[in-house]
Amino acid sequence: MLKTLVGDLPPLLWSGIVSGCLYGLGALGLVMIYKSSRVVNFAHGNLAGLAAFLVYGFSSGGLANLSWGGAVATAVALVACIAVLSYALIAPIVFKSDLASTIATLGIGLILQGAIQLVFGAEIVNLDLPIPRFGLSLAGVRITSYDLTVLVVTLLIIGSLFLVIERTRLGIAFRATSSNPFASRVCGLDLRRVHLFSWLVSAVLGLVAALLIVPTTFLSSTTVSSFMLQAFTAAVVGGFASLPGAALGGILVGIATNLFSFYVSPEFMNSFLLAVILVTLNFFPDGLLARRSGGRV
Amino acid sequence: MSDLTQTETPPQPFANRALDPKTLATVALVGLLLVLPFGAGGYLIYSLSLCFANAIGVLSVSVLVRYGGEVSIGHSFFVALGAYAVAILEKQAGVGFFVGLPVAALAGLVGGLVFAYPSRRLSGIYLAVSTMALALALPEILVHSERFTGGFEGLYVALDPLAGLPKAPQRYYLALALLVLVCLALARLRKSPQGLALLMARAHPRAAEAFGITRGWARISVFALSATLASMSGAMVAVASSAVSPNSFTLWSAIFLLVGSVVSLNGLTLVPALVGGAFLTLVPNYLAGAGDWVPVLYGAVLLGVTLAVNSASDLRRILTRGGRP
Repeated sequence: MLKTLVGDLPPLLWSGIVSGCLYGLGALGLVMIYKSSRVVNFAHGNLAGLAAFLVYGFSSGGLANLSWGGAVATAVALVACIAVLSYALIAPIVFKSDLASTIATLGIGLILQGAIQLVFGAEIVNLDLPIPRFGLSLAGVRITSYDLTVLVVTLLIIGSLFLVIERTRLGIAFRATSSNPFASRVCGLDLRRVHLFSWLVSAVLGLVAALLIVPTTFLSSTTVSSFMLQAFTAAVVGGFASLPGAALGGILVGIATNLFSFYVSPEFMNSFLLAVILVTLNFFPDGLLARRSGGRV
Repeated sequence: MSDLTQTETPPQPFANRALDPKTLATVALVGLLLVLPFGAGGYLIYSLSLCFANAIGVLSVSVLVRYGGEVSIGHSFFVALGAYAVAILEKQAGVGFFVGLPVAALAGLVGGLVFAYPSRRLSGIYLAVSTMALALALPEILVHSERFTGGFEGLYVALDPLAGLPKAPQRYYLALALLVLVCLALARLRKSPQGLALLMARAHPRAAEAFGITRGWARISVFALSATLASMSGAMVAVASSAVSPNSFTLWSAIFLLVGSVVSLNGLTLVPALVGGAFLTLVPNYLAGAGDWVPVLYGAVLLGVTLAVNSASDLRRILTRGGRP
């Protein structure tokens, strides 16, 4: 009993951390937008799904026949345009009503989902990362090149995000807006610019997370948005307004879902996430990091 | 504070209610719907029965928006609760709609209470997120508890509510009657002390607290009320469509309920409810050929109506300011 536990646990934890990084990336996108503009972006997963399909379309010859890098660059440009356009659409209501702007993002999500189905149909495709395949075993845990890519990319992104937010003027503006939008406006900050910054960063984070998550399964019109629940759970566990909380929440959710699907049942994953959300909301309404992080970003 | 800006103005007392044109129009509409089955085809009657049932679901979402200021994208859960309550009771106990409906309503009430409790102190976005989780958890629960729910295939609802009478008309009239009853009850609630207390808790939480109404209590009761209505709608949908299956209760169906509510401008009376219900039922039926355009259309309508309502309220403010400098 104990022996199987010792044997099973490390690989479960490892793969939990790897998928947790991806949930964390998804959650970071949600939290960036929520912190700056108080909008819960329900279109996040749909945009990320469209991004993955765009990369597929531009690299496979469906839309164009570019190299993988070229396809990603084109997709980033398009996704950035869509993010700006979506923000422009809901801009009139962002300051007025959280409720109305949240409903509006659902509308955007529906349109993007419809666009995926219209352009790419019911295609089910593979979209792999252009990385050399290798694997090594360490203390009973198999570590693949995919795992390492996920970890490195996640660390790079979190690191650069941290630098931007801590060290640049834009980052200071972002922090000011998230802690007190009114005071920031009084001081002459252009809140729209800060919002746009967070929507753009979030769209790119979504694209990266989608590209990294698709190789674990396949790409269909609903694949990426089906991971949204994990990202939302990670954001709730982290308090929905904390960037480190989102990253940590992602890893916790990744480990917890892995353990749950191995030891209890893989069929009731969404119910488990629902329970995690409800328990967190009841006992840690401000997230697990609430007390330690205080008012910091 | 979006809550404050969206507060409704209190209802104007009418000197003579019977002469109020709105009431007259509604009564005339109900009269028209009452005689419609004598001249209309079977398919239209079937669609309209579903439309009435869905209209109650739209009302349940609108109640949550109006009284609670919250958005739910998980009401498919409570609709399913009601629908499966009727179907399971028929299969296991052999009892019909008139036993199933109260049980469904009770199940919705309890479900709503249990679900709203954890997020009672939090802002509305947490409720939106947890309702999304609820809607996503539902299909797997339905599919994997085959013993009761019939798994992927679902269950049939064959028993007639009123044995001996023809099938289609009795469904039509039952759904219409339930819808009208719900609308009347909601009109009562709007003027009742309880309804006003709930509205006050939303618009002026501090003042409400001074009267002993806590925001958390108000949130929970509004959600429970809304969930009860949703379950009743589900019970009616089960009878009107004579089958329940996990496919009809997904995250999309929950979002479509919200779209119906937005299209009806979150109205709590018969005509808006019918508009929302018709949008939900008739648009997919008659646009079946459009296929993938349906989500785009729904999304565009959702976005368009939300933005239009907002700019309309802006316009009104500018106009009233212009009138009264």
